[in-house]
Amino acid sequence: MIQFNECSFRYQGGSHNALDGISLTIEDGAFVGVTGASGAGKSTLTYAVNGLIPHHFSGDFYGSVLVNGLDTVEVKPEELSRFVGEVFQDIDSQMVSSVVEDEILFGMENFGVPHEEIGRRLQQTLSLLGIEELRRRQINSLSGGQKQKVAIAAILAMRPDVILLDEPTGELDPESSVMIFELLKTLNREFHKTVVVVEQKIMLLCSYVDRIILMENGHIAFDGPTAAVAGEADLFRAQGINIPRVTELGEKLTGMGLYHGALPLTLDGGEKMVREVLADA
Amino acid sequence: MNLLQYQPGNSFLHRLNPITKLAAAFLYGAACIISGNLFLVTALIILMILIAATAGLGGRALRLTRNLLILGALMFIIQLFFVRSGDPLLVTGGFVWVTTGGLVSALLLSLRVVAAMLPLMLLFAITEISDLCGALVKKLHVPYRYAFIVTTAFRFVPLFTSEFHDIEDAQRARGVEYDTRNIVKKVQLVAPLFVPLLTSSLRKVDAGAISAEVRGFNLRTYNSGYQQYPFHLADGAAVVLLVALIVVSAVL
Ligand SMILES: Nc1ncnc2c1ncn2[C@@H]1O[C@H](COP(=O)(O)OP(=O)(O)OP(=O)(O)O)[C@@H](O)[C@H]1O
Ligand SMILES: [Mg+2]
Repeated sequence: MIQFNECSFRYQGGSHNALDGISLTIEDGAFVGVTGASGAGKSTLTYAVNGLIPHHFSGDFYGSVLVNGLDTVEVKPEELSRFVGEVFQDIDSQMVSSVVEDEILFGMENFGVPHEEIGRRLQQTLSLLGIEELRRRQINSLSGGQKQKVAIAAILAMRPDVILLDEPTGELDPESSVMIFELLKTLNREFHKTVVVVEQKIMLLCSYVDRIILMENGHIAFDGPTAAVAGEADLFRAQGINIPRVTELGEKLTGMGLYHGALPLTLDGGEKMVREVLADA
Repeated sequence: MNLLQYQPGNSFLHRLNPITKLAAAFLYGAACIISGNLFLVTALIILMILIAATAGLGGRALRLTRNLLILGALMFIIQLFFVRSGDPLLVTGGFVWVTTGGLVSALLLSLRVVAAMLPLMLLFAITEISDLCGALVKKLHVPYRYAFIVTTAFRFVPLFTSEFHDIEDAQRARGVEYDTRNIVKKVQLVAPLFVPLLTSSLRKVDAGAISAEVRGFNLRTYNSGYQQYPFHLADGAAVVLLVALIVVSAVL
């Protein structure tokens, strides 16, 4: 479980709080999406969970963050990384090796996973992500989607309970983006990982996650179940987050008095709405 | 850069332990430097090219030799005029320009440079940097920190160049004309790019450091690596051969 208690953080030399009085709880097994405008503090929020704040980035830290009951100020980031793994925003510079296999081995080697176990986990992780054939490939020869899978594999091999992903689809085409979210869904539903994903593409978030957090200038502007997003569409629009088109269509149909149900967020929901409207007509 | 790139393969040379390869490259080079015999040094250059050919690197070895010979020629010319011993060879207006001693020592020096550098450069063609560093950490207990710095530096070269081209393209899109033949002008145009390049590179290095840190970099010991680098009979044989070579070149 992750618990923020009135947490604030200002980077050294920063003019304002990157995190501003954040209080929130993320239960084990949750599938949470974090969105918000550029500079809203989404990446900083993830750094507070894995202890990079305040251990790597210096600044003023107030309040507390507890991960599995451990206070992030008191334990070192490598201690926390036994529970929490993060796939960072910049896909290329987070790689520490030139070959896929070495990248996945890195964390396991460091944490002293016994060597017979390492081989097994490597194999399992590669096959879970469907990247067995990339094993000996040079990382810089991979496509964006493949690199993203390697980065996720490198984290999964360490077997964290919580996986943070910072805009994992930022440089991917729509097809690969869906593929990554399908993977996250599997990790959450079948492997019971807690997944927290920072994402600008609201449509993707709405189709997959259970809960959405909207950040604005370091504080939380919205936090609720995905279904509640449609009712607060204006909040999201104010942050420059494009509401799913089906939701906008729903708003129009409601405005015209043709539809009276809950606003849809996904294509499936949109289809149901259109069928209802047509049936009434 | 291309001439130093790793070329995957499964030859006898490729399969040697990375530490053996490193030691062999140095021993071979040492043999060339110790030797005072012009013919032996020349023979060692030719032998090196032949050895490289067994690993499918004959062409690469020839190209490297050619480039090193250009460097050698430069040193030859400088040395030629500085060493004066033996009989005068080139005399104009009573001034001795070149002596026989100078000619021989210049020739020897430049060939030694070629012969000693060649195996070191070929080392990179048959050894992956990460394997070399991995073996040094595992077998010789070189601190992982240094190995990590070296592998990272090598990994960053292509990232660095592609970043440079990105910035160059961005500038070009703003109408900056890079395709000038005027070298001074070119330098003036390219120099300002180094500041953004440096900042973005430092940011990348920091991001890499963070990623390593949260994956337990600080917990690593020399024995953490999963990859094993065992020594085989061939490694012993190679070292024996090279020591013999050193003895021969010291005697000849
Ligand atoms: N290393 C740093 N030093 C100083 N200020 C920083 C640093 N990193 C981020 N900030 C500032 O903190 C605030 C939040 O940044 P953060 O990177 O968390 O935003 P974000 O929501 O992830 O944005 P983006 O969508 O662009 O990734 C911004 O105002 C940013 O300028
Ligand atoms: Mg960010």
